[in-house]
Amino acid sequence: MRRRSEAVIGSKTSHAWRTIGQWINGTRQPMVRMRVCGVLAALAGLTLAAACGDPGRAVLTPSDGEGGALVGTIRGEPRTFNHLLAVENETLLFSRLTQASLVRINRTTDMVEPWLAGSWESEDDGRTHRLALRPDVTFSDGAPFTSADVLFTFEAVYDDAVGSPLADSLRFDGLPIEVTAPDDVTVVVRFPVPYSPGVRVLDSLPMLPKHLLEPALRAGTFRDAWDVTTAPTELAGLGPFALESYVPGQRLVFAKNPRYWRQDAGGVQLPYLDGITLEVVSDQNTEMLRLEAGEVDLISGGVRAEDFGGLARAAHDGKVQIHDLGVDLNADFLFFNLRPEAMADDPRRSWLQHRDWRLAVSHAVDRVSFANTVYLGLAQPIHGPITPGNGTWFTPELPKFEYDVQRADALLAGLGLIDRDGDGLREDATGSPVRFALLTHQGNSSRERATQVLQADLSQLGIGVDLVPTEFGTLIERITSMDFDAAYFGFLATDTDPAGNLDFWLSSGASHFWNPNQATPASDWEARVDALISEQLQVADLDRRVELFNEIQTTVAENQPLVYFAASRLSVATSTRLTNVEPSVLRPHVLWNADMLAVNPPQ
Amino acid sequence: MSPFALFLARRVAFAVLLVLLVSSGSMWLVSLAPGDYATQLRGPGVSSATLERDRERLGLDRSIAEQYGDWLSGLVRLDLGTSLRFARPVRELVGMRACNTAILAATALFIATLIGLPLGVIAGSSSAAGLVSAIRGLSVFGMSLPPLLTSIVFAFFAARTGWFPIGGMTSLRAVDSGALAGLLDIGWHLVLPALALALPIAATLERLLARSMHETLQEPFILAALARGIPRRRVVWRHALRVAIRPVAGIYGVIVGGLLSGSFAVELVTAWPGLGRLMFDALISRDVQLVAGCAAVGSVFLACGNLLSDFALAAADPRLREE
Repeated sequence: MRRRSEAVIGSKTSHAWRTIGQWINGTRQPMVRMRVCGVLAALAGLTLAAACGDPGRAVLTPSDGEGGALVGTIRGEPRTFNHLLAVENETLLFSRLTQASLVRINRTTDMVEPWLAGSWESEDDGRTHRLALRPDVTFSDGAPFTSADVLFTFEAVYDDAVGSPLADSLRFDGLPIEVTAPDDVTVVVRFPVPYSPGVRVLDSLPMLPKHLLEPALRAGTFRDAWDVTTAPTELAGLGPFALESYVPGQRLVFAKNPRYWRQDAGGVQLPYLDGITLEVVSDQNTEMLRLEAGEVDLISGGVRAEDFGGLARAAHDGKVQIHDLGVDLNADFLFFNLRPEAMADDPRRSWLQHRDWRLAVSHAVDRVSFANTVYLGLAQPIHGPITPGNGTWFTPELPKFEYDVQRADALLAGLGLIDRDGDGLREDATGSPVRFALLTHQGNSSRERATQVLQADLSQLGIGVDLVPTEFGTLIERITSMDFDAAYFGFLATDTDPAGNLDFWLSSGASHFWNPNQATPASDWEARVDALISEQLQVADLDRRVELFNEIQTTVAENQPLVYFAASRLSVATSTRLTNVEPSVLRPHVLWNADMLAVNPPQ
Repeated sequence: MSPFALFLARRVAFAVLLVLLVSSGSMWLVSLAPGDYATQLRGPGVSSATLERDRERLGLDRSIAEQYGDWLSGLVRLDLGTSLRFARPVRELVGMRACNTAILAATALFIATLIGLPLGVIAGSSSAAGLVSAIRGLSVFGMSLPPLLTSIVFAFFAARTGWFPIGGMTSLRAVDSGALAGLLDIGWHLVLPALALALPIAATLERLLARSMHETLQEPFILAALARGIPRRRVVWRHALRVAIRPVAGIYGVIVGGLLSGSFAVELVTAWPGLGRLMFDALISRDVQLVAGCAAVGSVFLACGNLLSDFALAAADPRLREE
């Protein structure tokens, strides 16, 4: 029996409606408020389209005409024009603009929607999906897109000589997805194990042109193909834009792809924009100044708390609109080294790797004060890895570790950690002082502030913290090699669905930061989490998956391998001339739907 | 071989040694630092098997000495190796960036010379105490301004007034507007970063020259010239300046080196597409050969600065040519 994919665009999530609510309530700037009707109409239209169900015919329309060009910024330069070889922000953005995947996660609804595959059917085994490709889709160079390109892309991504960083996220139990093509417009993908999110994982894989890249793959030179010196005429993609020029260190210029396969509801060929220019601006302060001065329409990342003052003035002057996306999906966390071998000879192991130690630390920090100090109030206290920004998977029912110095004191005393000599610093049973080194990312202002707050709060309890702000490369090396006592760090979730970040949850995962790559689970609770993850991957029903995942989150929170304190609010800023903006908490925040963006002509 | 030719040959040999030492040193230092390109590429959540596979593919599993040997043998053929990050020859990557940095540094040096030397002559020769104090005050203020801070202030100034671009080297609209418009556009973008770099150098030049000029004007040959009735202005600008300029010419090499490190900071703030930003990114991503390539080009600048300084000194002081 097969399930047909339907209504793949669900209703708008709370984020979009919350933004509209703020506009109506007058919490936005006057010029922004003037656009409410247009945006409301546009969003109403989108909801209607959801009912119709085909994003191939989108319904948002440019509010004041078509065409125009958008100027944005990026912090660095793409390492390559081939997303299979690099996954950093700039290469990812390049890929989102110039290429397309079989399905897409709609960043505002969080639902999977048909993209190059116009529809699909899923078998009940939870492993097999038959995708029907849209007919008459062509690459930007005019070559037809067929199932052969899909097969080629999968072959390239799994090729050991290519060493694609995308391959790991497309392997399940270490095995690749099996892909076959019964005909030119049909592709069958079969997961090696049941995988409940199904085709959702295909959002990350751009389809590449076999006719251009196959010779390189066969010759073993795929890694050199499409490097940043490749002439734009030698590139081709299925995305809304095509690279027109790249001036190293300065800018990338994209022109509209006239062969793009999407049209809006009125039959107007997308994208609306004639082009996009991305200026390379490494410094975040300069980036912000250029936005405030009206030189650019959008910046690469979110708005830092310290930038709101300047932006508020620019918003008041009608130059900038600030989009509040609510609580960020990602939050930084404190974690201790729980690998037994890493601290085998360290006398502190008996308490530094003990659960009560982590609970004591969690109780010792006032999360409200932490949010106010580190994020200047623009944050919300949290107690687990899934933040309120993740509407589907967040649960407010986690065990909470409220600020309770007495409780923390009792837990530490229970571990034999007391101030034996009256110097204000606790000592363990051997008389050694209770102190540890805390690594963090040097130059990241919020992380540096956070570790200072932790140092101050823990010193109140007689715990010494030696701060070690560390250059990023060294930090990564020390975390990877488990050469640390504790670290304050974060990572970017690539998907809202926890199944997209299995490496984090599973004890065998490489992103199981506190004790990665375990051969067998080191603790009973980790074994329990592994079992629950395995169970939820085989369940198709979303409600049941959420239920199982709540249990996973609760188990993790009870053991505090990662101590979370606060999640910042995420805002993005764009120029007021930019319309159809539907910002997302996932990167790229604004350009994820670049084909629908439009700019108002100059007044 | 004449003594002057020998002097030049020695200087050129020293310059080559400098380039070799700086680039080799930077390569070893980056190689010895914790982490490598593979860990940067993958981030913290990566299995050791994947890392090992990447290292083997990228050639990072070989010993540092082995990698250095390969790089050194390439250097003999003027091959600076291949960037891991961009998978392109380093020479291609650094070429254009080095030109951009050279444009910025040369403009800054030109502005600094244009401001610093005349002010130094005036401050060192004028008898108007108020004027001398004002110039000295400005110079002390200028010397205390790090280019990083000045460029941030200038960026704010550009944002508030709109008179200058906030960053970058060219405007998009100037791309297809012809060579002259393109040059003017670059000049317009150059003003603030070049000024940010030039101000502390101009102040340094002014202070050095003022002191040197003041001492030179006490020399007997100056008093003799004045006694012969040569106008004071001519004595100062033609006779005294030739002597007073020697210590200033001697530190031009050092200034060029400082200019380069200063320009790295300015490039980051003003989005100037120069060597500094490329090297910064290369350092962050542990792109060893690209770091070494950038350092090599940077040390070429320094060596050229030193050579120019030597030429200038030799030109200003005939005794050096004869020694």
